[in-house]
Amino acid sequence: MDSFNQNTQNKTSLKSELFQVLRLNVQTYTILLALIGIWGIFFFTTGGTYLAPQNISNLFRQMSVTGFLAAGMVLVIVTGNIDLSVGKLAGYVSVVAAYLQANIWFKYLPDQPVLSMVLTVIISLLVGSAFGALQGYIIAYQRVPSFIVTLGGLWLFNGLILLRTGGKTIPANQPWFSDIAQGYVPVTWGWIFGLVAIGFLFWNMFRNRQNKLKHGFELRSIYIDLLATGFSALMLLVYIYNVNSYKGIQNPVLLLAITAMIMIYLSNNTRFGRYSYAIGGNREAARLSGVSIPSMVFKIFTLMGFLAGVGGVVLASYVGYGTTAAGQGYELDAIASCILGGTSTLGGVGTIQGAMIGALIIASLSTGLQMMNVAPAWQYVLKAIVLVLAVLADVYFKKNR
Amino acid sequence: MDVVLRKQVFESQEFKVDNDIILEFKNVTKKFPGVVALNDVSFKIRRGEIHGICGENGAGKSTLMKILSGVYPHDTYDGTVIFNGEELHLGDGAIKEAGNKGIAIVYQELTLVPTMSVGENVFLGREPLERGAIKWNKLYADTREILEKYRLDVSPQVMIKNLGVGKMQMVEIAKALSEKALILILDEPTSALSETEIDKLMDILGILKSNGITCIYITHKLEELFRVTDKVTVMRDGKEIITEETKKLSQEKLVSYMVGREMKERFPKATRSPGEVIFRVENLQALDPNEATRKVLNGVTFDVRKGEILGIAGLMGAGRTELVMTLFGEYGKIIDGKILLKDKEIKPANARQAINAGLSLVPEDRKGMGLILIQSILKNISLPNLDQFASFFRIDADAELKASLLQSKSLTIKTPSLEAAVETLSGGNQQKVVISKWLLSKPIVLIMDDPTRGIDVGAKYEIYKLMNELAEQGVAIIMISSDLEEVLGMSDRIMVMCRGHSTATLPVNEATVERVMALATGMSS
Repeated sequence: MDSFNQNTQNKTSLKSELFQVLRLNVQTYTILLALIGIWGIFFFTTGGTYLAPQNISNLFRQMSVTGFLAAGMVLVIVTGNIDLSVGKLAGYVSVVAAYLQANIWFKYLPDQPVLSMVLTVIISLLVGSAFGALQGYIIAYQRVPSFIVTLGGLWLFNGLILLRTGGKTIPANQPWFSDIAQGYVPVTWGWIFGLVAIGFLFWNMFRNRQNKLKHGFELRSIYIDLLATGFSALMLLVYIYNVNSYKGIQNPVLLLAITAMIMIYLSNNTRFGRYSYAIGGNREAARLSGVSIPSMVFKIFTLMGFLAGVGGVVLASYVGYGTTAAGQGYELDAIASCILGGTSTLGGVGTIQGAMIGALIIASLSTGLQMMNVAPAWQYVLKAIVLVLAVLADVYFKKNR
Repeated sequence: MDVVLRKQVFESQEFKVDNDIILEFKNVTKKFPGVVALNDVSFKIRRGEIHGICGENGAGKSTLMKILSGVYPHDTYDGTVIFNGEELHLGDGAIKEAGNKGIAIVYQELTLVPTMSVGENVFLGREPLERGAIKWNKLYADTREILEKYRLDVSPQVMIKNLGVGKMQMVEIAKALSEKALILILDEPTSALSETEIDKLMDILGILKSNGITCIYITHKLEELFRVTDKVTVMRDGKEIITEETKKLSQEKLVSYMVGREMKERFPKATRSPGEVIFRVENLQALDPNEATRKVLNGVTFDVRKGEILGIAGLMGAGRTELVMTLFGEYGKIIDGKILLKDKEIKPANARQAINAGLSLVPEDRKGMGLILIQSILKNISLPNLDQFASFFRIDADAELKASLLQSKSLTIKTPSLEAAVETLSGGNQQKVVISKWLLSKPIVLIMDDPTRGIDVGAKYEIYKLMNELAEQGVAIIMISSDLEEVLGMSDRIMVMCRGHSTATLPVNEATVERVMALATGMSS
């Protein structure tokens, strides 16, 4: 296994290697820099309160619903599709959850908060998955473009929301159910999770290096790997320290982190993920390689529906109500998160990690601008500028690489 | 004073206008980071000639054309290019500029809009206008005039998607010539054409020449150079090796200039003794999936033995690609006939079933159907074979790497690492990736649809050698090729197709170019 072993490294200086790593991953670093830049600006304009524990806590919770949607949206866009219905689907699920909580279980299962919560979650996830599967079926097997089908879905779910609520707000603030998105992970557990995660990061890094070494792939300097992993670990520690000095990691954020981890694993280490990227990279080549495109697309939309279900439950629990406006515009936030995170609208390219940072950027902007009491009109304008500027910078850097 | 004088001397010496020379490259050097694409290239092209440029992939032909077309502006290379008596100064984004000066290019990949008419395509971006509205009558009249002038047999109002590849190319030529072209550059114009279409193109080139248009003809196909060109420039590794009158050259000599060594045989020798019949197709009939009333396959019968190479010959549109795609479960709807693998009937409904049964297909269009260009070599090789390494929850990355590495090494893919994106490889190496991915699935029958299309002589030879090795190992190979010499040179037997059915299967020692052509055109032989 060593004819590929060009492992001589040519004694490139660490500096030039670092520069090269930065150049090759310019997209990842642009978006990280953008995030840090945004935080920096708000830190000064708000006199420091922006990065105070309570606000950081809020910020991450704010991104969680969009985060669930974006995690599914990445694969949808990677396969060359789009889902315009996810915001309203999440909204509809939140209304269903609230309706079950307030009207059904209250009547038939009084004083059973745990059982009620469990049933609500299960039914909500089923509703999300079922609608995802329905749309997926029409897109994959009946070959109606996803844009059309999910635009129809958007209107359909909007209608269903109005039918269910009758234009009124349904309370969903029962104990246990509220804890899903309003609760916190105990401080000690927060630290334990954090340390486990950091251990995993380093373990993963060393395992990757070992594997590359074993197969004679080029290995980058260990200092660069340590720097990158160390940076992630440090950010994680800072985050946990920060939120623990308020009330702890919020449940939905932990849930999103776990979801993101599963999705990352799914997209990198399974046939499902590999086939998704293959379809987006070249549909014909994927088809001739034995990838069943309809079945893959069907599964991806079902998964998207499931994640919209998760988003819907978190939304209902967090807001405490099922409302007629639930989920309004979330699909566009999710799509923007993916694009900011480097997902290509042409398909075949995109990462979950990127989309999560994208979602964080969008949440950071919204909270920051709200804290500064910027008028909603200007909030839109500024968000527009950031979105287009970020992609423009990316296009520019790619051209000049 | 001194400077001015010297400049005058310089000009009078260097820029003596020679009316016979339309294009001259003087010491042109173009560097990319890490690569010298053109190295001190100098040669002249005479007015009114057909000038061939040949060389292996990566020899620098495309770079030369990109300088002429303005893709690489004049300040990005060293040396000078003199076109029609003056130095060529193309600025950034000067592709239109080159056209205005009279340089017209027909690219290898056709660039027409399929849903527009011939006339609309010819005048795309230059529509005759009257107060902002397109003058349709003038547009079509002008198109007709150009088509008739060069005797291009296409109607101006037909939609492009209804034309065959040969006619599309005529439209490309018409489009290029509509701008008062002085010089027409054809880049690999015949790679997708059938024999008759190539003949037609050769005729057109003759007509252009008699109209005083200079042509640069870039090709891999040596026969064509001898058929039409007056002069040939051979390039290798970014250098101009020789520019010589075609009639003073021989095929052998040309090849030795191209590869830098004598290559006596275009096809490697192999003596094979095929085993028992392993794959049989009986009277296969199938419908066009897009047009259920049209039969694309109308009675195809043939068999392949273990360790045999069966060549499939036929003209464009004879149904060769449709046949193999149908065998692979990805094209026609089978209405009659049988496919038997090891005497057991198989009915592949999609590629997955075909692969699992033991078929592999190296498709016709490498970039469009064979590869995911943005992905790594590793991911491309393993894509159809993931079932070998994966459980439901996990791909065994170790096993995947090991198998892919072994496969890519046995095919000597030239790359620093399997993690490199396929788009960074040369055509020949890309084709090796496609073959690797299909060998990893351990096929019983390997179908290769035009496996050497668009790759250079050296890489072709390697692929021929590989095919011989595979046949020796007992793989049954079915090879489609538009290059008749290749079919005759590589096959043990040749099946000829004409209008959707198999006309005959000949042992190679009974096959001649004439006989195969006769069978392919439907004449009885």
